[in-house]
Amino acid sequence: MKLLKYLPLAVLLMSAVTAYAQDRTTKPTAKQLAQQQLTIEPGIGINPMPISDMLVSNVVQYNIKKRLSVVSYSSYTFNNAFKRTFNNIHTNYNYSLSQKLGVGTSVYSKHMSHTFALLAGVKYTAFKETLDNPEFEKVSASVSSFSPDLGLMYNLKLGTKKYFFSYRMYLPLNPYPFKTRDINAIDGNLAYISLELGLGIRLGMPSGVK
Amino acid sequence: MKRLFPLLLLLLIAACKKEKVNPAQTSTFCIQSAANGANYTIKVALPDDYDAAKKYATIYVLDGKDNFDYVAANAKKLSNELGKTNALVVCIGYGNDRAVDYTPTDAKEGDGGADGFMQFIKNELVPKMEHDYGADTQRQSRTILGHSFGGLLAAYAFTNYNSVFGNYIMLSPSLWYDNEILLKLEQEHRQANQANPQLVFMGLGELENSGRMQAPYAAFLQRLQQNYPGMKIDSHIASQLDHMGSKNPNILKGLRFYFQNKASN
Repeated sequence: MKLLKYLPLAVLLMSAVTAYAQDRTTKPTAKQLAQQQLTIEPGIGINPMPISDMLVSNVVQYNIKKRLSVVSYSSYTFNNAFKRTFNNIHTNYNYSLSQKLGVGTSVYSKHMSHTFALLAGVKYTAFKETLDNPEFEKVSASVSSFSPDLGLMYNLKLGTKKYFFSYRMYLPLNPYPFKTRDINAIDGNLAYISLELGLGIRLGMPSGVK
Repeated sequence: MKRLFPLLLLLLIAACKKEKVNPAQTSTFCIQSAANGANYTIKVALPDDYDAAKKYATIYVLDGKDNFDYVAANAKKLSNELGKTNALVVCIGYGNDRAVDYTPTDAKEGDGGADGFMQFIKNELVPKMEHDYGADTQRQSRTILGHSFGGLLAAYAFTNYNSVFGNYIMLSPSLWYDNEILLKLEQEHRQANQANPQLVFMGLGELENSGRMQAPYAAFLQRLQQNYPGMKIDSHIASQLDHMGSKNPNILKGLRFYFQNKASN
C-alpha cells in the first residue's frame, strides 16, 4: 500500500517520458528540414560570359537563425579552359583560388529554399603565357596576384531531405563593371559571373530521412 | 556613425564623379578624309590661356569618344602639377569601326585599315592642327595615345610611321593581332627607327589573363628596351586590374611619364 502513494508520481514521470519520446520520433516537417542548421554543397560550374572558365566550388552554410546564416564559399577556377593556344601564344597554366565569407538571408517554400548572401574574401590568380612563334624569340610572362573578391550569391536548395540539389549564381561586384569595345574581351565583373550546380547534404539530419 | 554617413556619401559621390572638360575650352570639327573616305569628328581640348599665336605640343587620342574627358582633364591637372605647359588634346572619333582603322593587316579580328587611317592623321589631321590651332610642327611635340586596338595602332605608328610621332602611350596593346604582326614590323623597321629620340610608355593590367596579352607585351617591351638607344621607355603593370579596369590608371601613368620627360617645357 505504501507504493500506491507514489503511483501518481510514477504516472506523471512516465507520461513525461512518453511525451518526450513521441516528440523525438515525430517525422520532421519539410520546413524544419529546410531550415536544418548546417549544409555542405560541393558543385561545378562555369563563368558563362564568355564560356571560358570552369570551376569547382563548395558552399558551407550555417543557419544561425531561420533567416540569418553565415556562408563560406571556396572555389578553384580553371581559367580560359578551352583556348590554351592562340596565335602562337601558349597558356602554360592559368587558375584562380578564391575564399569568401559572408552573411545571408533565406526564404523558404514547401520544397526549396532561396538564400541571398553578401560575400567578401580574397582571390589568388596565377597564370603563365609563352609566346612561341617560330619567327621570333621565345618569351614567357607570368603573373601571380592576390585581389579582393566581393560579390552577391544566390543559392537555391531544391529538396527537403538529407541530400538535395543545389544551384547557385555568384555575381562579383569587382572589378567595377566596365563595358568594353574590344570584341575579344568581356571585362570587369561580367567576366566573373559564375553559374554552378551541385549536390548538397544537410548535416545532423534525424535518422531515417534520406 | 550617423554623423559619418553624409561624409561617406560625399566621398562616394566624389569618387564616382566623371571628369568633365570646360566646354568653353573645347573645339569640335569634322573632316572627310581623302585617304580613306571616312568622316571623322575631332574634339580638341585647349590649354588654359590658349593663344593661337603660340606653339603647343599635341596629344592625339584614339577611341576619342570614350577618352576625351578623362585625358583632357588629367592632362590639364598633371601639367599644372608638374609645372609644364599643357598640350592640345586632340581626340579622334570613329570614322570607321575601330577594327578597321586600328588594325594593320586584314585578319580574322580586323580589316586592316590602319595604313589609310595613319595617312589621314599624317596628311590631313596633323597639318590642320598646325594650321588652325598652333600645333608645334616638330615630331617630338606629337604624342599618340591608344588602348587595346588603339594601343595596337599606337605600336603600328611607332614601327611604320615613326616620323609622325615622337611620343607613344601604348596601353594594353593588342600585340597578339595577326600572329604578332607588330613584332615582325618592329623587326623590319628597327634600323630606321632605333636612333630616333622618343618617349614610349607601355601599360597593361595585371589580371589580363585571356591568354594573349602578357607574353606579346613582354616580347615587345624587351625588344624596345634592348634595341633603341634613343628611346626613354617606361612600363607599368596595373595591379589587380584587368583589360578595361587598367585603362584609366595607365592613362594617368602614361601622361605623367610624358609630362615629366617631354622635350620642351
